[in-house]
Amino acid sequence: MESNKKYWKGIEELNRTPEFVEKNKHEFAEPIPIEEILSGDGLKSKTPRRDFLKALGFGVGAVSLAACQKVPVHKSIPYLIKPEEITPGLANFYVSSYEGSAILVKTREGRPIKIEGNPNDFFGKGGTSAGVQASVLDLYDSSRLKNPLQDGSESGWSQIDSFVKGQLAGIKAGGKKIRIVSSSINSPSTLAVIADFITQYPTAKHINYDAVSYTGIIQANQNSFGKAVLPHYNFDKADIIVSFDADFLGSWISHTEFSRQYMANRAAKALEEKKMSRHIQFESGMSITGSNADVRMPLKPSEEGLAIISLYNALSATTLPGSKKVSDANTDKAITLVAKELLSAKGRALVVSGSNDVATQVLINAINSLLGSYGTTIDLDNPSLQYAGNDAEFVEFANEVKRGEVDAVFFLNANPVYDFYAAKDFTTALAKVKLKVSFAPYNDETAALCNVVAPNSHYLESWGDENAVAGYYTIVQPTINPVYDTRQAEQSLLKWSDNPVKEYYTYIRNNWDKNLLPIAGLSGQSGWETLLQTGFVKAPAKAAGVYTFNRDLNAVAQTILTHSTQVAASGSQLELQIFESPNIGDGKKANNPWLQELPDPVSKVTWDNFAAMSITTAKKIGVEQGDYITITANGYSVDLPVLLQPGQAQGTISVAVGYGRTKAGKVGDKVGQNAYPFHTFRNGTFQTAVAADIKKTGALKYIFAQTQTHHSYEGRSVIHEGTLAQYVKSPASIVGKGEGKENYDLWDEYERPAYNWVMAIDLNACTGCGSCVVACTAENNVPVVGRDEVRNRREMHWIRIDRYYSFNDNGKNVTKEDEIDKLQDLDHVSVTYQPMLCQHCDHAPCETVCPVLATTHSSEGLNQMTYNRCVGTRYCANNCPYKVRRFNWFNYWNDSRFENYVQNEYTELVLNPDVTTRFRGVMEKCSMCVQRIQSGKLKAKLEKRSLKDGEIKMACQQSCPTNAIVFGNLNDPTSEVAKALKSERTYYVLEELNVKPGIGYQAKVRNTTELGA
Amino acid sequence: MASHSESIIREPLITGKNITYAQITNDVLFPVENKPNKAWWIGFIAASMGATLWLFAMSWTFWYGVGEWGLNKTVGWAWDITSFVWWVGIGHAGTLISAVLLLFRQNWRNSINRSAEAMTIFAVICAATYIFGHMGRTWLAYWTLPLPNQYGSLWVNWNSALMMDVFAISTYFSVSLVFWYTGLLPDISAIRDRATGLRQKIYSVLSFGWTGSVKTWQRFETVSLILAGISTPLVLSVHTIVSFDFATSLEPGWHTTIFPPYFVAGAIFSGFAMVQTLLLVVRKVLGLENYITMFHIESMNKIILVTGSIVGVAYITEFFIAWYSGSEYEQYTFLNRFIGPYWWAACMMYGCNVLMTQLMWFKSIRTSIPIAWGLSIVVNIGMWFERFVIIVVSLHRDYLPSSWAMFYPTWVDVSIFIGSIGLFFTMFLLFLRVLPSVAIAEVKLLLKSSSEQAKKKLIEEGHLDPDQVAYYKESLTKFDSVELADYDKV
Repeated sequence: MESNKKYWKGIEELNRTPEFVEKNKHEFAEPIPIEEILSGDGLKSKTPRRDFLKALGFGVGAVSLAACQKVPVHKSIPYLIKPEEITPGLANFYVSSYEGSAILVKTREGRPIKIEGNPNDFFGKGGTSAGVQASVLDLYDSSRLKNPLQDGSESGWSQIDSFVKGQLAGIKAGGKKIRIVSSSINSPSTLAVIADFITQYPTAKHINYDAVSYTGIIQANQNSFGKAVLPHYNFDKADIIVSFDADFLGSWISHTEFSRQYMANRAAKALEEKKMSRHIQFESGMSITGSNADVRMPLKPSEEGLAIISLYNALSATTLPGSKKVSDANTDKAITLVAKELLSAKGRALVVSGSNDVATQVLINAINSLLGSYGTTIDLDNPSLQYAGNDAEFVEFANEVKRGEVDAVFFLNANPVYDFYAAKDFTTALAKVKLKVSFAPYNDETAALCNVVAPNSHYLESWGDENAVAGYYTIVQPTINPVYDTRQAEQSLLKWSDNPVKEYYTYIRNNWDKNLLPIAGLSGQSGWETLLQTGFVKAPAKAAGVYTFNRDLNAVAQTILTHSTQVAASGSQLELQIFESPNIGDGKKANNPWLQELPDPVSKVTWDNFAAMSITTAKKIGVEQGDYITITANGYSVDLPVLLQPGQAQGTISVAVGYGRTKAGKVGDKVGQNAYPFHTFRNGTFQTAVAADIKKTGALKYIFAQTQTHHSYEGRSVIHEGTLAQYVKSPASIVGKGEGKENYDLWDEYERPAYNWVMAIDLNACTGCGSCVVACTAENNVPVVGRDEVRNRREMHWIRIDRYYSFNDNGKNVTKEDEIDKLQDLDHVSVTYQPMLCQHCDHAPCETVCPVLATTHSSEGLNQMTYNRCVGTRYCANNCPYKVRRFNWFNYWNDSRFENYVQNEYTELVLNPDVTTRFRGVMEKCSMCVQRIQSGKLKAKLEKRSLKDGEIKMACQQSCPTNAIVFGNLNDPTSEVAKALKSERTYYVLEELNVKPGIGYQAKVRNTTELGA
Repeated sequence: MASHSESIIREPLITGKNITYAQITNDVLFPVENKPNKAWWIGFIAASMGATLWLFAMSWTFWYGVGEWGLNKTVGWAWDITSFVWWVGIGHAGTLISAVLLLFRQNWRNSINRSAEAMTIFAVICAATYIFGHMGRTWLAYWTLPLPNQYGSLWVNWNSALMMDVFAISTYFSVSLVFWYTGLLPDISAIRDRATGLRQKIYSVLSFGWTGSVKTWQRFETVSLILAGISTPLVLSVHTIVSFDFATSLEPGWHTTIFPPYFVAGAIFSGFAMVQTLLLVVRKVLGLENYITMFHIESMNKIILVTGSIVGVAYITEFFIAWYSGSEYEQYTFLNRFIGPYWWAACMMYGCNVLMTQLMWFKSIRTSIPIAWGLSIVVNIGMWFERFVIIVVSLHRDYLPSSWAMFYPTWVDVSIFIGSIGLFFTMFLLFLRVLPSVAIAEVKLLLKSSSEQAKKKLIEEGHLDPDQVAYYKESLTKFDSVELADYDKV
């Protein structure tokens, strides 16, 4: 309806005066000087006073209004639809599996933030290695590929799929070879997917390739007993262990499990029964295993074969042809004595060798057979499936590539361009392959050469399963949606092979429903759900069979001797031994800053590899610590700085693999030098020793980022140690107790009404592996500071493992530096590890000196640090006798100079929300995981019950594979910790200062009657 | 004070012929009332460049964090606290001269107390910058004060020696400042009376309305005595409390009951050395030879010798106790001073402080200006190293050998230290330009009784024991500002 009404605004409008009509033509009553302003004239005109005042008034008003704005409040957005299982502030735990071990993944608000061992895990029984602890950080690694790549540029999954499938169709028609190269896979479902793929593409073949390989052992068992398996070892059943260069506590096969087994026979429980196994290590470099041995004899790689032959001769009372004594008389004597001890412990003995040489391992089999180890300490019927690499197969593959016979290759968790000894040739040859696909999550050395990189998801984003030892099946379940646009390799393979099962999850379900759940008597949905709560199924172990070795050893001995001569250094050469670092492993974990910053257990070097050399050898060739040497062998050479390593066999150098990555990512690139090309391929396996030319370079001395630079404990009451004989005679004598001294106190005693949290650390159980350090880093948001800052002695670790060397001088334990300097024989070194963390002293020296009371004592016996109150005078750190306080020298969480470690929107997600990150200028230190204590207490309170002993576990304690750390309430006399502290071996570090530490150490006992000395 | 004559055997405190009250005012105010000379400009430019360096390095530290220094987890204090203690120690001479010597009626202090007190103020300012600078969170420095707050019972820790330090240093600074300024009042009014224009206005405000009446003088004397009484215990207490920072800790090498007297002696020792360093130059450049005479120089050298020897005894006692205690940590700490990686620092400490000052036993050395100046620098270096040895060398190898570490200074450490010297000299040089460097009023007091011309007049009057006159003449030979030829006639 049209309205006829007309409204007028004023009488002028009604009358339509000529002025109004004129004015009404314009939008504004007064003309706007736009033209003048634009032309610049308007700016020249004078501002009238009133305009100025107006502008001023507006300006002041606007500014004051703006200033009234509060500091922006960042609100966290609550869930619109809250997932049923998530309660903000409470952690959820999911079972999963990493490297075959059942684990628990702690998630907070949907983010996995910490890995904990599954207490029922077959391998670690809740203990984990440092690598497991660190693996969660890789999930958020910003160096990971965020998209699939095709020819080096970002692509999408559908393009990749159609490209790969198109190529594969063509290759299938052409009939040339297709190869899937992977590091050892034991996942039943993955293996099935690969098998399906091979069915689809019959020219395909799966090759297991391990950078650090155990082919030697597998082949030897094939030769000796017709079983091509990696045995399962039982170190807990061995009363005497002899190891030739096998680092079974640090890197060898199932080292976490071995650590647990090993200590079962040596730590608190065994010692209470006045028993302890005996461990003799013959090795060239000082490994973590050698450092824990009761007797350690340095042995060159070229004499390892001789030594094993001698041992065999002594055990069997025969003489293999070509046998001769090892050059060092002490070692020779030691072998004879060891043989006697072994013979008297038949069925309770174990001899292992870290060699990857088939002949050597055959001889080891013969020795173990003589000792009756099969069926007791060695189990061939429930073999380990952790490593299945076949060196010869991979070398054959490399040759196929060279000959142009391969049209397609898939790399799954394999990076041969970096870690194959003949990587250079291989790289050139790889160009001949039409379709190269890498599933690497990073654009690594191999992936960079591939047409297609189909990044595999992180295990915490994936479904999967593992079968690391026969009969033990673990499930991998995702705990987060993929952080980046990645896809599981299995999913890709299913797609590319047109598998009728579209989803890998369904594939796994089918496989488990059909094959694996029935093992545990489970079935259907409920069975599956049970599995997702237990994490694994375990078939009853088969009876371990007794195997007898009855093959001719003459040829074997001959091979060993020839090999030895090839390795032996001549002239100015040194024998180079290549080993796997316990932290970085084979190099796949090189981009993990937690692991890079974790000090090497023995050398305490972070962020580098090095050429370890004995002091005598260094003197002989005229080098000192930090001097660069050029190591040349196999036509490859690297410059590495020298590290003087007590106990290193003379005439040898040891270099760790896993370093010198060029495309690992921000963190791992250009850390150390690559030692893989020093491997040789001989007698069908990769060999880890070679004679190398050494030349000193003129380069400036290198300064290692070492967390410890003084190596002897100067006879101080920091370490107490003794021999088993002493211990059995008088347990208290090894800690020098019973002197009857009186203590006087300046301070009042305070009540600990409910709890008195204390800790007991068994030095006999600590192998020094460093798992606790990484666990603590993850739990407590400990910043990573990088190589330069470690070099400045500013690492932030709340728990560290002090490592002390002492030397045996005619039966006397020499621990003082000035006396050590005078020693002639530096080969016989003993090592003691001591985890050191805030001692939570009852009379804490730090507390009295803080001017602002930022560090105080709790009524539960904890030394607490109030970050908010700290003004950063560092007086507390100076006054701490244990030097466990850590200062935030920089703003590690915001300073762009530390950007490459944890400061980015992804990596931040790994932070534990229960622990604040500390600002620059604030002191921090071990809090005894106070957040865990608090949540444990809360849980008990909610459930209206008292706290149970062992319910609260420290992060360090939980990760320890050997249970060296016990935490608990001293007020409860029945608690584990109270019992542990009652041990006669208990002492407190620097007890005489009367600071009353809350952490008691149990003295180290060695089962020594020194051999050959 | 006294207008009666002083014994002839006392050496004169003011030399020169025809010195009148006006002459003294003219001489002392010359640098204040005239354009600065070239030497001042050279010094000022160098010093202010140093101060700029200090500003830059300090800002750098605040921007990036204390991590820019060479400290580490083992050595939590190094150049910062070393230099802090060094500066505080230097300050002590000023207070000793102005307060203790006033109470003991040592009139020779009158010529040197002004500059020495100014030095105290500036040294304490330099020291304070290290307190603030070394804190991780400087912006929260006020938390060390027991301020009422809304956090409930959030209080400071009276057990902590650092807490006591806060009070010791702030009291020391405020009392020194008041004492110094009170002493300045008559002199400022002298400037005021001679100035014109804006200068007059400024000095007029600064002089607090000084009239020069008898009553004013009487109150001035009383206030000076009271302030001297308050300051005297501070001479002992401040460095005692600074030494508590170390003595009350658990650190071997720090945990020592001898520290309070040891530190006080060391402070006076280094303070006199610094006064010597400054005044020997000021005297020459500002032409104050008649007021700061060889007698003053020698007296200060004697104090340096005595305090240096006390320090030496303290060093020996430390070593003895380390051995006698039977504590292996203590023993190692002291052994480590010589056999450890910082042996050279200990050599600097013991060499400069003990061995070199023993040269002062020789009169020819005490009265040689270049040697005395050189030795004063040596003492300053030695005392810096003393604190370095106590702090860094003790910390770097304490209980757990696993944590033993080295300390290496960074460019920031070095710049802040060099810069703080620049800052000090900037302030000192500005002081010379705007305020009288010698206490005019107090020197005038001595003119009638203790000046060379007064004594000469006495001799000329001829009622004195000739032996004493001969002794007096003999004592004048060391003076570089006395014309001995004049005495041949009398």
